[in-house]
Amino acid sequence: MTIFNYIACILLIVLGLYAVCTQKNLLKTIIGLSIIDYGVNLLIVSTGFNDGGSVPVYQMSDLLNGVSAQFFVDPVPQALTLTSIVIGACVNAMSLAIVVMIKKKYGSINVDDVRRLRG
Amino acid sequence: MIQHFPVLAVMGMFLGAFLIEIFGSKNAAVRNAISFITFTVVAGLVYALIKPIIIDGGVIAYWMGNWEPVAGYAIGIGYEVDALGLVFAIIAITAFWISNLYSFGYMKGEHHLGHYYTLFMMLCGSILGFCMTGDLFNMYIMVEIMTFSAVALTGFITDKDGALEAALKYLVLCSLGSGFILTGIALIYLQCHTLNIAQLASMLSGGLTPTTLLAFALTVAGFGVKSFMVPFHTPLADAHAVAPSPISMVLSGVVTKAGVYGMIRCIYIMFRAMDLTQMQIIITAFGAVTMFVGVSMALAQHDFKRLLAFHSISQVGYIITAAGLGTALGLTGGIFHAMNHMLFKGLLFLAAGAVLHQTGGVTNLDKLGGLSKRMPHTTVCFLFGAAAISGLPPFNGFASKWLIYQAAYTKAAETGNFYYLIITITALVVSVMTLASFVKIAQAVFFGQLSEENKDVKEAPAIMLVPMYILAALCLLTGIFYRPIAADFILPAVRSTVDVVKYIDVMMGEGYAAAAGVYNMAVSNVMVSSWSPIVYLILFITVFIAAFIVILGSKSDRGATVEVDPKNAMKHSNFFSGEEPVYSHVGGSDMLWGYKYDFKPYYRVMEELHSGRVTDYCNMVVIATAIIVVFMFMFMR
Repeated sequence: MTIFNYIACILLIVLGLYAVCTQKNLLKTIIGLSIIDYGVNLLIVSTGFNDGGSVPVYQMSDLLNGVSAQFFVDPVPQALTLTSIVIGACVNAMSLAIVVMIKKKYGSINVDDVRRLRG
Repeated sequence: MIQHFPVLAVMGMFLGAFLIEIFGSKNAAVRNAISFITFTVVAGLVYALIKPIIIDGGVIAYWMGNWEPVAGYAIGIGYEVDALGLVFAIIAITAFWISNLYSFGYMKGEHHLGHYYTLFMMLCGSILGFCMTGDLFNMYIMVEIMTFSAVALTGFITDKDGALEAALKYLVLCSLGSGFILTGIALIYLQCHTLNIAQLASMLSGGLTPTTLLAFALTVAGFGVKSFMVPFHTPLADAHAVAPSPISMVLSGVVTKAGVYGMIRCIYIMFRAMDLTQMQIIITAFGAVTMFVGVSMALAQHDFKRLLAFHSISQVGYIITAAGLGTALGLTGGIFHAMNHMLFKGLLFLAAGAVLHQTGGVTNLDKLGGLSKRMPHTTVCFLFGAAAISGLPPFNGFASKWLIYQAAYTKAAETGNFYYLIITITALVVSVMTLASFVKIAQAVFFGQLSEENKDVKEAPAIMLVPMYILAALCLLTGIFYRPIAADFILPAVRSTVDVVKYIDVMMGEGYAAAAGVYNMAVSNVMVSSWSPIVYLILFITVFIAAFIVILGSKSDRGATVEVDPKNAMKHSNFFSGEEPVYSHVGGSDMLWGYKYDFKPYYRVMEELHSGRVTDYCNMVVIATAIIVVFMFMFMR
């Protein structure tokens, strides 16, 4: 049932936005960002889902029997999801690296302390 | 042969990035040679496209690995370069070429410069790819590469105060924006099962379903974050202030333009929603607010580069407003202003960088002053840029701003809508405020008295002056020869934006658009030559008299004595009487203080909004996105 996928991905995105908007700890902000990312990934991979579909690889026998493309799971969203996961990992790595350096420099990772640039 | 050039340009940039990482991390000469040659070659490749695309009015389509559409469905990833994308690509590569030259002087002596040039070239390559691609997901990838390299470059000098903080804010907010864009792309794929922009344009032409409407709203919000319109603007101001100056130049000149380009591509070509009045109103409203908030915040700043950053936001507001009018004249003004903004804001950032480099890192406006005696070349370049951004003739800012005023006013006259008149007046007032704040910088930094600490400041080295003079000359030339540039360079881009049928047909095969029932949008076709300054003069005099009457009629405490803060008593007493002043420079904070005093409630609110907390900024992004989504569902179904 794909409907549960969509509900789950919306829940994940909203949860992530909630974390980003309310949590004062920078690590939690970054966790929120990754949760949004997972939600979007789930959304993309669900768009290609085909109930009861087979792997998107054509075999000679399938072609001879005239199997239509309807029975294959759409491979494009899976490729998109892989790319998006890689990008999400990059966001995590980079933001965590910055947070480590902020901790060294500011001595805190609370949002209220990391606000020298303002006004 | 020529159809390979767009791909070669993007690939060449990334190839150069890898070559620098391999060969150039130790030796400065090798590194500079590789980056200079790569930028020059890629610039040559991009400029070679001017002939077939802008002059002959063609569109270049290129399918990766020759995966051409099968049965009317795009399978492979396609590159498609029309005049709109090419104009933005030319803006990008010109800015990067000049900024690269400036980096040789400015970044000398920093550590890990190999990484710096690698990231710099990746930023350039991603923006070129973003402007030239015809595939939606490819666009997203390029946006992400752009964000990463921009974030890393913002925080490149990690010792600088606030650099890491700015990088983190930039990363968090841009990731939110990317998340919105990606969600939008997923929803579009869900509905249309294709990612090719040309095919999407033909599929989405018959009205929007709720799914695509949500996707549309999210994409607009996402590109809004990338172009840093208010209320998404907060990380840009921080990033500009702390990034190395060549990076500030490309951030303001190119990265924000990439967001604007994405928005134009999305609204005009993919969803083709610009002929709807509601769409015009929301985009121009965001643009006008961006203009005003940017410039009013700039007036209150004490940091040279942060002040320029808020001006970037304000000028991007001009571009968004002009593009949101949905007329040919407005689009001409907007794209022209995008080009001009790169030129003059780049020049101003480079001048700020020269001051910062020569004074040893001072950007506080209260600590500078009188530098025109020590840095005459920088002062001349700065004044060129300041005149251009304030819209003084004969510089380029005047030409494009004039087009924007005229477009907004014509729109008001055509529709009879009072709203567009307010937009026009906002644009005029913002221009005056821009001039005021540049008078402030000129006085605070370059004129007045030279302070003791800056007695031994020298002029910037030649490698930094040459890029500044190139930009200053370009500012003047594009201002003097505005007519051929607007007619032969900008107008083809406007035509290609409006001509969706051609965009689809070149990519998907002749007759595809007609088969899908796509027509070209009805855009009022006012050409560049219809300028009538008299109308403006009358409008301006009317507004002036109205404001005068309002001020005279209002009760105020003008003329009353103002309590002087005892802490600053000495400083202010210098102005009037008392001890003979030893050093009495009128600093940045002293100028315009009466204005700031009068608008105190406004600035108190603004200071609370720009609180510096990431969570507050994220809240602003989420709330604004929610407003966009709700607006679209209420008024565009």
